[in-house]
Amino acid sequence: MAVNAKNITNDEFFYGHKACAGCGGSLVVRQALKVLGPKTVCALPAGCMSAVGFNFPQLCFANNAMITPFAATAAVLGGIRAGLRAQGLDPAEYQVVGFAGDGGTADIGLQALSGAIDRNDDIIYICYDNEAYMNTGIQKSSLTPFGAKTTTTPAGRNAHGCLTNKKSLFEVVAAHGIPYAATASIGYLNDFIRKVERASQIRGTKYIHVIAPCPTGWGHGVDATVDIAKDVVDCGLWYLAEYEGEQVCGRTGGKFTLNRNPKEFTSVERYLRSQGRFRALTDEEVALVQAGRDAKWEQMRRDWA
Amino acid sequence: MIEVLWHGRGGQGAFTAARLLGAACSFADGRYALAFPSFGPERRGAPMRAFTKFGTAPIGDRSAVEQADYVIYLDETLLAPGWEQELKPGGRVLVNTKRVFADERLVGIDADGIASELLGRPIPNTVFLGALAALCPQVSADDAKEAVRQYMAPKLHERNVAVIDHVVATAGEWAQARGADVVEEPEASGADLSPQDACPDAPERRIPTLRSGDLDPAVYARTTCWDGGYLVSRNAGWRQVRPVVDAAACTGCLVCYMQCPDGTVYKRRDAQAGESPVGIDLDFCKGCGICARCCKFGAIRMVNEVAALAEERAAQEGAGR
Repeated sequence: MAVNAKNITNDEFFYGHKACAGCGGSLVVRQALKVLGPKTVCALPAGCMSAVGFNFPQLCFANNAMITPFAATAAVLGGIRAGLRAQGLDPAEYQVVGFAGDGGTADIGLQALSGAIDRNDDIIYICYDNEAYMNTGIQKSSLTPFGAKTTTTPAGRNAHGCLTNKKSLFEVVAAHGIPYAATASIGYLNDFIRKVERASQIRGTKYIHVIAPCPTGWGHGVDATVDIAKDVVDCGLWYLAEYEGEQVCGRTGGKFTLNRNPKEFTSVERYLRSQGRFRALTDEEVALVQAGRDAKWEQMRRDWA
Repeated sequence: MIEVLWHGRGGQGAFTAARLLGAACSFADGRYALAFPSFGPERRGAPMRAFTKFGTAPIGDRSAVEQADYVIYLDETLLAPGWEQELKPGGRVLVNTKRVFADERLVGIDADGIASELLGRPIPNTVFLGALAALCPQVSADDAKEAVRQYMAPKLHERNVAVIDHVVATAGEWAQARGADVVEEPEASGADLSPQDACPDAPERRIPTLRSGDLDPAVYARTTCWDGGYLVSRNAGWRQVRPVVDAAACTGCLVCYMQCPDGTVYKRRDAQAGESPVGIDLDFCKGCGICARCCKFGAIRMVNEVAALAEERAAQEGAGR
């Protein structure tokens, strides 16, 4: 039976952490660990979740958990799996999961992730995407969307924030022919939980890319985190999708599935204007973002739906 | 050398105030100042400290201030028994509060009220810059205002200068006020609570084995796995508001339980009549308000933490009689 609010464990595996009030990333870790259970080993690179989770002498993880070098998340996960295998522990029972931010995944840890997928290490890699390097004080990553103000892409007279578009990391990962990859949002928690559960049942490398708003870096109210994460999906700037590799779905080249294909989107402008980081965007730039969304959805509906 | 110790929470502007004070005290020739913050990897809302040292000789000691001439609490929930240990003889403690204290070393200023009125937002830091200008002979109001002009964004100048003027002008009202209030434990002591003590109605969660502030490394060094449980002390003093669940309106849909980033909403074991199906672990709740916002039934409201603590104290006293 699928995990839901009623039957999910009462145990908390990530508790007493020192994240900001209303932190989206900590909700990702909390829910993923509640699904995966106590026989899970975590690895986290430098990033908010390791900074707020391991405050000596306090430890906020009930699971075995360790901090990895920044670039090495997926490589360390592969090593942990090898260690568990050497101890004769059943991979269906013992999960290995990594939680890395967008910078630790799309920029610094990309090579190690690519290598792990190539070896098809039996691991789950969860990227909690808050769209900038929040741990060090909000610097642009390659997953920062166009128009977002960060300390390295400040809004001024000439430029109004980040000039580049968000890298489509989900497709980069899928292009490896990975057994399972998915996108999710903490605004759609049940969808996210289902994907974590599905990932735990597949042997080989699994990747989940989940949007996790950051009130401090995005400039929205601390109580709005989940609503904003829902809004970004509803307005079409993020999508809920899955990719199953050939070895899982049996189809040559694998299969994309669009989990949510709304007839109508909510307002992109309202989504952007609800956050401080997009404050400097002009109406023309908002229209540009919307046009980008429409082009992306045309491609997704053509190829994936 | 005058030493000032600022207690605040991340985001309240304690370090900004510490820097402004240092700037104000080092404009003149032959005056020196040092200002720096102290915080861990904790985030916005976590208790933090900042320090200002100033005097007429260069300051070489860059270590944290242990005992200060002025100790300032930007958030009154951080003021707890033992406060006098941080104070030099003859020193004063300035607290952001509406309370009026019996102890003459404690000075209460309604900084949130003043800031709300003059700045439009309850950011208390420049109120205390003005208060130090009024109390400390080595700090002049003109220098404090000049520090605001030199170190804050231009659009903030006028209002913050007005705050300093107001606080200095009303010093006669707040500096010597005496009342009946005393400093109490902000909440029941967190030391050595078992999870069931903290939340007696929570279901068995095989979690916090230690909620104590005084951890012994010898005990836990080899137990960082599931069997050992995890090791955290309370996130006390992070909230300005707290959630209160209305038992009559709550349907037990558990949306708040799922959405809480801190996992502090728990399913209640055998909820009695008049009890809501969910409870909240206030030792760890940071008061973000996601639960109140996601509740379709309006069953959770966020109430002011200071008011809630006062209510709790009154209820305890009532029960004690």
